[in-house]
Amino acid sequence: MKKKIQLTLNGKKTILEAPAHRLLLDLLRDEIGLTGTKEGCGTGDCGACTVFLNGKPVNSCLILSGELDGAELVTIEGLKIGPELHPIQKAFIQDGGAQCGYCTPGMLMMAKALLDENPNPTEEEIRFALSGNLCRCTGYAKIIQAVQDAAKEIRQAARR
Amino acid sequence: MAELTVVGKPVTRLDAHEKVTGEAIYGYDLVLPNMLYGKVLFSPKPHARIVRIDTEKAKRFPGVCAVITGEDAPWTHGESIKDKPFLAQGKVRYIGEPVAAVAAADEDTAQAALKLIEVEYEDLPAYLDPEEACKPGAIPIHEDFASYRKMEFIVARPGMPNVCEHFKLRTGDVGKGFRESELILEERYSVPIIQHAAMEPHSSHAQVDPKTGRVTIWVANDAPFRALHEMSEALGLPKEKIRFINPLQGGGFGSKGGLKVEPIAVALAYHTDGRPVRLKFNREETFISTLTRHETVLYIKSGVKKDGSICARQMTIFWGTGAYAEKSPTVCIRSSLPAPGPYRIAHVKVDGYAVYTNKPVAGSFRGYGIPQGAWACEQHMDELASRLGMDPLEFRLKNVFVEGDTSYWGEKLHAVGLKETMMKAAQAIEWGKKDQGSGVDPFGTLRANPEHSRGIERSKGLRTGKGLACIQKPTRTPTTSQAGVRVNSKGEMTVLAGTVEIGQGCNTILAQMAAEELKVPIDKVRMHPLDTDVIPFDASTTSSRSTYHMGNAVRRAAIDVREKIALMAAPMLEAKKEDLAFSEGKVCLKDQPEIFLTIGEVIRRKMGPDAVLRGDGSYTYEIGKDLDLETGHSEHASAFYMYATQAAEVLVDEETGRVRILRMSAAHDVGKAINPLNCVAQIEGGLAMGIGSALHEHLVLDNQGKVRNPSFLDYHLATSLDLPEMIPIIVECTEPEGPYGAKGLGEPGLAPTPAAIGNAVANALRVRIHDLPLTPERVFWAIQKGKTKPA
Repeated sequence: MKKKIQLTLNGKKTILEAPAHRLLLDLLRDEIGLTGTKEGCGTGDCGACTVFLNGKPVNSCLILSGELDGAELVTIEGLKIGPELHPIQKAFIQDGGAQCGYCTPGMLMMAKALLDENPNPTEEEIRFALSGNLCRCTGYAKIIQAVQDAAKEIRQAARR
Repeated sequence: MAELTVVGKPVTRLDAHEKVTGEAIYGYDLVLPNMLYGKVLFSPKPHARIVRIDTEKAKRFPGVCAVITGEDAPWTHGESIKDKPFLAQGKVRYIGEPVAAVAAADEDTAQAALKLIEVEYEDLPAYLDPEEACKPGAIPIHEDFASYRKMEFIVARPGMPNVCEHFKLRTGDVGKGFRESELILEERYSVPIIQHAAMEPHSSHAQVDPKTGRVTIWVANDAPFRALHEMSEALGLPKEKIRFINPLQGGGFGSKGGLKVEPIAVALAYHTDGRPVRLKFNREETFISTLTRHETVLYIKSGVKKDGSICARQMTIFWGTGAYAEKSPTVCIRSSLPAPGPYRIAHVKVDGYAVYTNKPVAGSFRGYGIPQGAWACEQHMDELASRLGMDPLEFRLKNVFVEGDTSYWGEKLHAVGLKETMMKAAQAIEWGKKDQGSGVDPFGTLRANPEHSRGIERSKGLRTGKGLACIQKPTRTPTTSQAGVRVNSKGEMTVLAGTVEIGQGCNTILAQMAAEELKVPIDKVRMHPLDTDVIPFDASTTSSRSTYHMGNAVRRAAIDVREKIALMAAPMLEAKKEDLAFSEGKVCLKDQPEIFLTIGEVIRRKMGPDAVLRGDGSYTYEIGKDLDLETGHSEHASAFYMYATQAAEVLVDEETGRVRILRMSAAHDVGKAINPLNCVAQIEGGLAMGIGSALHEHLVLDNQGKVRNPSFLDYHLATSLDLPEMIPIIVECTEPEGPYGAKGLGEPGLAPTPAAIGNAVANALRVRIHDLPLTPERVFWAIQKGKTKPA
């Protein structure tokens, strides 16, 4: 049985219908067509499907559509600031933070969550914040460097 | 050679923008109009005869379009041996083997219909241990092995029915070598099953045109032309009737070459009246039913002189290939060959056996068997050094291959950068400096997160150690790559290459090479999407062959175009072709660079504004020679060899057995770094995978052959908290045949890693551990055992 859901998706008011048991991940990918959010495990273990739900990062594979009425969602497609890439996206390009790129959207969302709370994280704090986001390609070194560079850029921009 | 403008520079990835914005479309993301959703029923039995399958109820379930079994798909495939049915035929050979499949209007319906399929099995005895399965007189897992179509060199062995390949290397006389030795050591090592665990699970889409019979497959396969060949042979369809379209691939590491999900998607698509089928495996299905790395048992025996020279080495290696051969025969050959290590040894004997078992299928995995060989050989080298009272580095340096040496398989070696990698890797962790702090604070991460300290907060009972290991890796030989380059009247280049961007960065470095030859800026180059109807042939994106083979092909295609442009431009510039030069997207006079035309202008003037100039290039490594079947010898076994040394410093908690790596260096001879940023990325990624396989990765099967940990919760991939300071080092020992001197890099990154860590742990504890992974439990018990028995 389908349920009517009103939500804000990447800043736009959206109304859609979906069965209450439909996972947020599947809702985004299969019904709305936003495939930037990736499915790596479907069981909340890899972080590839991380999105912002009401300002907090969540594994979208663990959220049911039935919980979403009135929610505010931001996905990787909404990470840009206007037409500009977010500093974290720019740093990932510059530093080589993405290889196959499949974990990248979730990694970027989690990195943004960290920097929103802690604009000047230590390496250890970054490692801890990203420890639920698995990457099989990079060994994390370039990702951590990118988060550090983005943090620096954001702090400098705030001073400008 | 003129000065390089793009090659050798740390160019950022061409595909980075689409990947950071979420715009990149992977195989798993693909939605086709009017598609159906597939689901698969897997075998719950390790080895059983299928007595009866009843699909009637499932077929009648509302929303179901097709339900198929092996009877509906009477085809088999396999790169080396055509032993694998699209769906089980008559019997199942492992838990997780596809038995039946459903296509339905949505995934929920397909899932519900699966439950209505009834299968009755009659159990058969199962082999879970490759050494057992290898024994003479074993019950055959494949009764019809002799009649399978297979590669020429593969023969049936009635006495050992489960051996699908026996590789033999025979050099000198090991008996004589052992008699001449002053010290003989014999050991057994083992490596468990691990999995590729690419972040994107496996999937495939397929459609069969009912009018033409043409089959189209959308899949992130890393060797689309090999897949095309295999599919064509399996279906008995000409290649022109099959098309592979490659969306982006979210990592593969060897798991996505050959046919995995594709055959089932195709089989379903034959029963849907032309509607496309999407078949996605979830993570659990990917773990149990796609591909694994060989569990390996290695016996190694060496005889040495007191001065540290190696007289003889004998190895017997069992490669557990699981239920189907996949690439096992070639894994067995290509990695049993250099398993005795990159050392000068006069008497060598190796027997490698690829053995069927009733376990998930094993095949190619980044490193192609080299990591398993190194785990045994490189720890064995340290054991020998210890008994000889020599430093492990000194012992290796005395014996390693150097320029001009002839290997024990009879090949004169060139471009051997091994010694340099060894010196640099050792130096990076201050080799020889005993019992000194590394300067790295081992407790930094732990202090920040005390809940993750897992007991390492004391200074008592902690031991540090250092270890290193090296490898030599061949590449698939001989093979061919072909490429095309197109240039339009705006001077923009498109490169057509069948190398698959699996995350390794090939698109960027191939574009760099194309840009270099025409001296155009890198942002004027794009890579054409991969489609076997359009793209020229390439053997495969495997075995670190692409930079060298496809690099050469792309370079030739770009030179072809450059020559054509020069011919067209000469009369326009009133000059001879030989007097022209290329620079910054322009053709100019060599001695008067201010007289020029842009490349685009040349093409526009000669061919019109909408025409496109095309060039082609092809590269085959022609002098590759097959190995002699009786001796394993070849004068040219590989187009080139990759060399690497890695060195680790570890901290071991004697009380808990936990190993923490403090720092790890990795020095890799890449020939020439086409893109240093990308080389470092490959080395770091390889190290991370190697560290995971050293410390915690293990696909655990119960005593029935059922995978117990098919999830990321229970199968422990390295997280950001598990990894140490990594010190990547690029060594450039020019390969004359390679493009700009380049070799390859992707695979060796993880190959010496577990052995280097194992050696460091043994150095710390004075206890040798022969089995992977080095979990706290295993290390703890080894310490306890070591206390009662001196090493």
